Amino acid sequence: MSIQILLMELVLMPLVAFVVGLFMVLMLRRIGAKLQRRVGPPMMQPLYDIVKLYGKKTQISHGWMHDIGIIMAVGGYVAAETLLPVPGMDGIADKGGLVTLVYVMMIPSLGLALGVGQCANPNGSIGIARALTAMLAYDVPFVIVVFGVAWYFGTTNLVDIIAIQQAGGVSGWGAIAMPLLAIAGLFALQGMLGKQPFEIYIAPAEIATGPMVEMSGKYLGGLFVMQCFQLYTAGVLYVSLFLGGGENWLFFLIKVFAVVAIPMTVAFLFPRYKTEQMIRLMWKWPVMIGLLGLAFVMH
Amino acid sequence: MKEIDIPIETSAAKRRTNPLARVFDELVRFCRSRSMFMLHYCTGCGAIELPPAMTSRFDMERLGIQPMVTPRQADILLITGYVSIKTLKRVILTYEQMGSPKYVIGICSCTVNGGMYWQSYATAKQLDQYLPVDLYIAGCMPRPEAVLEGMRKLMDRIRSGEADGWEDYYRRYDWYLGNQQHLFGDDWQTPADVIGEASHYDLAGPGTEGEHTRLLQQCQKPLEPQQTFFQIGGSLEKKGESHE
Repeated sequence: MSIQILLMELVLMPLVAFVVGLFMVLMLRRIGAKLQRRVGPPMMQPLYDIVKLYGKKTQISHGWMHDIGIIMAVGGYVAAETLLPVPGMDGIADKGGLVTLVYVMMIPSLGLALGVGQCANPNGSIGIARALTAMLAYDVPFVIVVFGVAWYFGTTNLVDIIAIQQAGGVSGWGAIAMPLLAIAGLFALQGMLGKQPFEIYIAPAEIATGPMVEMSGKYLGGLFVMQCFQLYTAGVLYVSLFLGGGENWLFFLIKVFAVVAIPMTVAFLFPRYKTEQMIRLMWKWPVMIGLLGLAFVMH
Repeated sequence: MKEIDIPIETSAAKRRTNPLARVFDELVRFCRSRSMFMLHYCTGCGAIELPPAMTSRFDMERLGIQPMVTPRQADILLITGYVSIKTLKRVILTYEQMGSPKYVIGICSCTVNGGMYWQSYATAKQLDQYLPVDLYIAGCMPRPEAVLEGMRKLMDRIRSGEADGWEDYYRRYDWYLGNQQHLFGDDWQTPADVIGEASHYDLAGPGTEGEHTRLLQQCQKPLEPQQTFFQIGGSLEKKGESHE
């Protein structure tokens, strides 16, 4: 692969992720609206929100760390996109691999923690403490799932994992071969996207959206952009591990949107758990299911 | 005065040199009108008409209006009902924390002229004497249809650039502050440095400073960092950033 094509892919992959992510945000809001028998926002609403937030006249910064925190939050996901293979574009996925990707996906939460820490708002501190605790909770089943998939396919290279699944057809998909791990992965996905019942760190009515409480203007806009990337990253990773990646863009997008629709549909059926309840649940059921699946895979 | 005028001219000249500036302005104004995050300060009975306007019957989200929970994130401040003098202080504090451009909507008759609380000694009669109100939705209480109609009106005004109440607050700060001092007393102050913000946005005019802002500067006490008290083993230990 020539250096020009690689550079072009490195630019294109985050861009595509952003555009797809915008539509995912729209889909989430539309699903929420439909479940509540509303019409929902218009097509371009996520874009309007982001443009408006960046176009605000007042941009309140609370210091250097606040600025850098948002850059880390968005930049972590931009880096993650280049490690996620999509149809026709591999980027640096075959050099990075799953382990790097799992590392990179933790950077945004840490960046957010740094940024929120400088805001010195008690609600923000409570929120980010809960968010990091939640990360601790869902990362255990997540790591078990990633380890199980890597063990089953005998590689941590995402490009190879997708190629092996596609060679076997639908019956070669990870979800067919490892259904227990796929179920545990869904739990981790729900926690990773911060949807109900694992939404305690945002909790608008109680701690005023937690980490976002002091964010205004382009800082909140940065977080909206981050949400687009977050949905895309989680969806594409799940599709790559369990649903055979994408043969072409059409099937790829259908799969990714279907995967991201699951947490949102589930979300509206639940109130939220407290942090300790969430940890207990995450470390009990998904971990148990994941370990059982791991035992079947390694047997 | 001349020294103040010079930066105004340069920034205006800068804006003109960019050929796409007007296109961007148009785009941003359009997006502002289609994406309004509202902070509803539910002071009175008008709040009861907002849930139907937001939920499935009338669904504000199809116009891009959604509730937000902190003043930092919000664009619209919704005052829904009578404002007592004590509440007005909180409303002004909230308003000054919001990011510009920001809009204030007064819902119900009580914000227009005091309504049924006209004879009350503890109620602010006209909201627009203390805050720049962009839009009133009159009624006791206005129905959700009227609220939505008002929102659409505000959208039109934002798109055409008429909704500039936040600029008016900076331009005529002295007058607003005078009315506030009339109610709250001479030692009224907020954490926001409105005069500094006005000069930052090039909005400082002849009405920004005056006798009332001079009174504010005389009575102004410097803000002290928040102090936290920890009760450790019966002894009261005091921790504050200013003393460490």
